[in-house]
Amino acid sequence: MEFSNSCSSFSSSSLDSTKPSPSESSVNLSLSLTFPSTSPQREARQDWPPIKSRLRDTLKGRRLLRRRDDTSLFVKVYMEGVPIGRKLDLCAFSGYESLLENLSHMFDTPIICGKRDRKHHVLTYEDKDGDWMMVGDIPWDMFLETVRRLKITRPERY
Amino acid sequence: MNYFPDEVVEHVFDFVTSHKDRNAISLVCKSWYKIERYSRQKVFIGNCYATNPERLLRRFPCLKSLTLKGKPHFADFNLVPHEWGGFVLPWIEALARSRVGLEELRLKRMVVTDESLELLSRSFVNFKSLVLVSCEGFTTDGLASIAANCRHLRDLDLQENEIDDHRGQWLSCFPDTCTTLVTLNFACLEGETNLVALERLVARSPNLKSLKLNRAVPLDALARLMSCAPQMVDLGVGSYENDPESESYLKLQAAIKKCTSLRSLSGFLEAAPHCLSAFHPICHNLTSLNLSYAAEIHGSHLIKLIQHCKKLQRLWILDSIGDKGLEVVASTCKELQELRVFPSDLLGGGNTAVTEEGLVAISGGCPKLHSILYFCQQMTNAALVTVAKNCPNFIRFRLCILEPNKPDHVTSQPLDEGFGAIVKACKSLRRLSLSGLLTDQVFLYIGMYANQLEMLSIAFAGDTDKGMLYVLNGCKKMKKLEIRDSPFGDTALLADVSKYETMRSLWMSSCEVTLSGCKRLAEKAPWLNVEIINETDNNRMEENGHEGRQKVDKLYLYRTVVGTRMDAPPFVWIL
Repeated sequence: MEFSNSCSSFSSSSLDSTKPSPSESSVNLSLSLTFPSTSPQREARQDWPPIKSRLRDTLKGRRLLRRRDDTSLFVKVYMEGVPIGRKLDLCAFSGYESLLENLSHMFDTPIICGKRDRKHHVLTYEDKDGDWMMVGDIPWDMFLETVRRLKITRPERY
Repeated sequence: MNYFPDEVVEHVFDFVTSHKDRNAISLVCKSWYKIERYSRQKVFIGNCYATNPERLLRRFPCLKSLTLKGKPHFADFNLVPHEWGGFVLPWIEALARSRVGLEELRLKRMVVTDESLELLSRSFVNFKSLVLVSCEGFTTDGLASIAANCRHLRDLDLQENEIDDHRGQWLSCFPDTCTTLVTLNFACLEGETNLVALERLVARSPNLKSLKLNRAVPLDALARLMSCAPQMVDLGVGSYENDPESESYLKLQAAIKKCTSLRSLSGFLEAAPHCLSAFHPICHNLTSLNLSYAAEIHGSHLIKLIQHCKKLQRLWILDSIGDKGLEVVASTCKELQELRVFPSDLLGGGNTAVTEEGLVAISGGCPKLHSILYFCQQMTNAALVTVAKNCPNFIRFRLCILEPNKPDHVTSQPLDEGFGAIVKACKSLRRLSLSGLLTDQVFLYIGMYANQLEMLSIAFAGDTDKGMLYVLNGCKKMKKLEIRDSPFGDTALLADVSKYETMRSLWMSSCEVTLSGCKRLAEKAPWLNVEIINETDNNRMEENGHEGRQKVDKLYLYRTVVGTRMDAPPFVWIL
């Protein structure tokens, strides 16, 4: 007899002949198909959730794109003048735009890429050679390979 | 009874357009039946196997517009094998032979072939409108025939079909004289598109109001298309990846600003997230927004766009918008009537997903909401009770909790009370989909309160046959009942056979019904087609004996006036 339980492992489809007859208990035991919520090995069913094939294919394609690299890249982020830094997983972003947005949100101030000026906080990074560089000059993928940590510079004061 | 000549009565009938009303009129008396049938121009057939082309033409010889639906709804989710049926060719052949003046054909979940499309295009001089939804079996060659031969084509609307794209030149098959297009939707085509032919076609179609592009139409082409069609009302963007500094993007921005009639936006089949701002200037006019395929767009960009859409009535979106995003929708879109939130992550326990909080926020902020389809990770009874109180006007309420059998995540109770509150409060509810942990109790509530319910979808729910019986006995207006993976069996199936004559169809898969139960049903109800769909050999089912006690994999039954269909494939056994 199989018990449905949200933590149990994935089991086979509901045509299972060991399914108990309805009179045997008042608890719903009819489901022998369960989905562990965090297992990455969970097989994708073609008939659940109930979405059309077109959407299913679109999402599958997107997943392939995103999880091509199932790693994370945590780097330290400092705001100039603030001793305690943050840590950020750069793999969670699709590009510079989303990185800047998130950082702006995290530090509660607009942050840009580009030339330093009197108004804006500018994002810089330390590359694998130990040099401090302007964020945004190289393609995102290349950036991910070379970045070691980030620093948000203060607006320039003259 | 009739104090007026027929022509006058017919003129009165002209004002009656809904199918239900016209059907009612035809039942009043013989005279009205006769007048009605000769004046009926639009016919809707919800199940193509409930009748046949000959009967259709005998009764409605002046037919101009036909809507046909084929496969059962669960075919959308891969539960019905492709070759099951729903072939449109016999219908088109019969219509062609009869020389009826067909102008419109709308098909849903049917098998369409290039041969049928070719025949269609050649047989009806005034053919104007072809709408295919979730159909399959044809290629772009079929589209080429339609383009080439239908001189007065107004609408070519292909929604989510499986079309074999031969990368042919179907778009260039529209003759130069074709200037009548109003709707052109080819978003579901996967192959390359002849951009030159497309641009020339759009340029010579001054009445074009709805244009939905496929992913092979890049941004610069979009810019040019929009520049020459500022009258656009409904736009489906194909590919949308570009550099915001580029000339194409600037051109697009300028073109969009001129499209003051734009009310509906969809597509973004491939999108670079940061360019959505080009559409912000026209957002305040939008009434419909469908971003359910825009899987690349980050939640924050969706939110930024929606913040400008104060007049939105219809929103289809992915759950990557999050609960916070739904709160923004609730506070911005006060005119919202229909919301669909689709899952964006089929495997993980996504942190981008939406929960009961998003649903409650929407129900509280959008007083005009009447239709919802909501995929979510979790739900509570309390939330559903609140939603029911906030929105007693629901017509369609479809909730899909991604994990089957999941209880209220706070109390660990079944969701019976929550759904019970929905059916009790929403007196106009016509469509309901259930999910989560549910016992027979929820069906008791549905049978008691859901008086207007016409369609009910059940998955992984219930304990005993009583559940199904509550529904069959209680819901007088039930038309379509579809059940999967639930413990309902022969007792429920056979309790009231005459009920099925009042319904369009019943689907039961992975339930407890047995072969002998189905056989008995078929015997008692000769006006039903009782189909057993068994992808493993049906002959083996017969041989294995057990006196028919083996369970039936998939059962589909429907009322029909024309008996057993002749086109069933070997794995469909009609009892």
